[in-house]
Amino acid sequence: MTGNRREKTDWFFKQIFKATGFITLALLGGIFFMLVYNSFSFFAEISPLDFFTGIQWDPDNKYSILPLLVSTLFVAVGSMIIAVPLGILTAAYLSEVAPKKVQTILKPVIEMLAAIPSVAIGFLGIVLLGPGISKLFGIQNGLNALNGSILLAIMALPTIITISEDAINAVPKSHREASLALGADKWETLFKITIPAALPGLIAAVLLGLGRALGETMTVLMATGNASAIPRGFLDSVRTITATIAIEMGEVPYQTTHYFALFAIAGILFLISLGINFLGEYFANRLRKFHA
Amino acid sequence: MFETSPMRVIISLFILFYLQSCSTNNNTIKVKGSDTEVNLAVLMAEEFHQKDDEFLVSISGGGSGLGIASLLNGTADIANSSRRINEEEIALFSKKNIVLDSFIFAQDAIAFVVAKNFPIDSISPPDLSKILSGEVTNWSFLTKEDIPINIYGRQSNSGTHEFVKIILNIQFSPHAIQMNGNAQILEAIKADNSGIGYVGAGYVMEWERGNIKVLKIYTNVSPSISPLDSAKIASGEYFFQRPLFQYYKVRDYEKVKPFLDFEKTEKGAKIIHLSGYYPAKKIK
Repeated sequence: MTGNRREKTDWFFKQIFKATGFITLALLGGIFFMLVYNSFSFFAEISPLDFFTGIQWDPDNKYSILPLLVSTLFVAVGSMIIAVPLGILTAAYLSEVAPKKVQTILKPVIEMLAAIPSVAIGFLGIVLLGPGISKLFGIQNGLNALNGSILLAIMALPTIITISEDAINAVPKSHREASLALGADKWETLFKITIPAALPGLIAAVLLGLGRALGETMTVLMATGNASAIPRGFLDSVRTITATIAIEMGEVPYQTTHYFALFAIAGILFLISLGINFLGEYFANRLRKFHA
Repeated sequence: MFETSPMRVIISLFILFYLQSCSTNNNTIKVKGSDTEVNLAVLMAEEFHQKDDEFLVSISGGGSGLGIASLLNGTADIANSSRRINEEEIALFSKKNIVLDSFIFAQDAIAFVVAKNFPIDSISPPDLSKILSGEVTNWSFLTKEDIPINIYGRQSNSGTHEFVKIILNIQFSPHAIQMNGNAQILEAIKADNSGIGYVGAGYVMEWERGNIKVLKIYTNVSPSISPLDSAKIASGEYFFQRPLFQYYKVRDYEKVKPFLDFEKTEKGAKIIHLSGYYPAKKIK
């Protein structure tokens, strides 16, 4: 009797857990389907050639993703140029050099960086970084790609540091000991042994940080000026894909070409971040296998 | 950690619409739409509620397009719009067999603003067209000073943006910086002596005007007129002035009538005036 009941409870909970797992899958699938479905309605009206090769996003008649895509890449790549050296060196410092005491303080502080709401960081971009950039470069307005890059770098840092540090920590101690025993000093060991050995993990960290930067909306919306021309440099205003969707989705008339266009660019962004996350996971898994 | 914001936006939109469609109280009038009108509408609703607490009026902004869309899908009773409803939207309403009516409740004037120490005081619509369309990119054609022009405007779905675009019959320069709101434009203009921006005159009135300069507009038929000159606006002489609309469904007229009536009273006109707009009555 009791055994039977136990089996029933087991079965019951198994189903619940299965259901929760499938709900997540269904959500992802549903969102993907919605994006693709609405994108088809868009491409029925605008040819994909115009969409990818035009030079202007002007929601009355010209729908080209190119300026938005270039803007997104500017901001995301710019943020990585800043965040990657900073993040990896911080991670190396944390795991290899820092005394235990510093470590216990610094780690939670870095993780707290991830808890700052993006709108607050965007606000900093407007009131602090914007005027600072305009003064530093002698330009009239500091709302540009550089501003967005710096802010996104700050937001991507916790991701990059945490994963990089795990990767560096995962390098077996014997590697370092062997290197030191052969007469290499601490720095040679760090740069020539530990970091190269952790490379797959570091690449994963960078890719996941990049994914974070690509998807960020509020900060770039507030800090980059949102001019829809193709940027000529980091001191130009840019308008990312995410900002465009956030700005225009609220007010677009339903079921119009413009409405479908926003789904189409959301679909492209989805594919890009999906690709980058997959790549990141691939490298992260390689690291796990490598050290297993 | 793996944030995918577009999804989040879409999901929260769904939740929002779901929640809003839940609250259907007969004595609640829901007003949605233009951000230009939202401050005024809130003041109006507060006064109205004090006078007649049988009714609740809920006001929210989000833009003219959102207001009209909400009217269409039934989450608003009145759509505030700072532009005329367009063909595409009319078609959507007639597809659902909804008959619309509109009410002009105030006049708004658009002010063109520059930095405080900018060398000129007035400008003409043709010159503005050249500047805003990106045809000229340097102030030297007007002020003899060789500085590039920075344009600060609203986002493409803002009623203000649409209005300027239509009245000047231009396509905006893609290099125009698009700001989130009137306040942000004023903030940028304060710091940028090569910038020009456009905002609702209602927003300039709240500020101490010492920090920026509001350009007067002249045409070949009229002398320079400032958008802050209420008498000139009331007589309809300013070039960049526009009616503020409220759209509602004819079948809901009885429901929204008390609020619309209140807006037409002396008290309503006074609130409109205090908010920096101009009561619609005196204008043809």
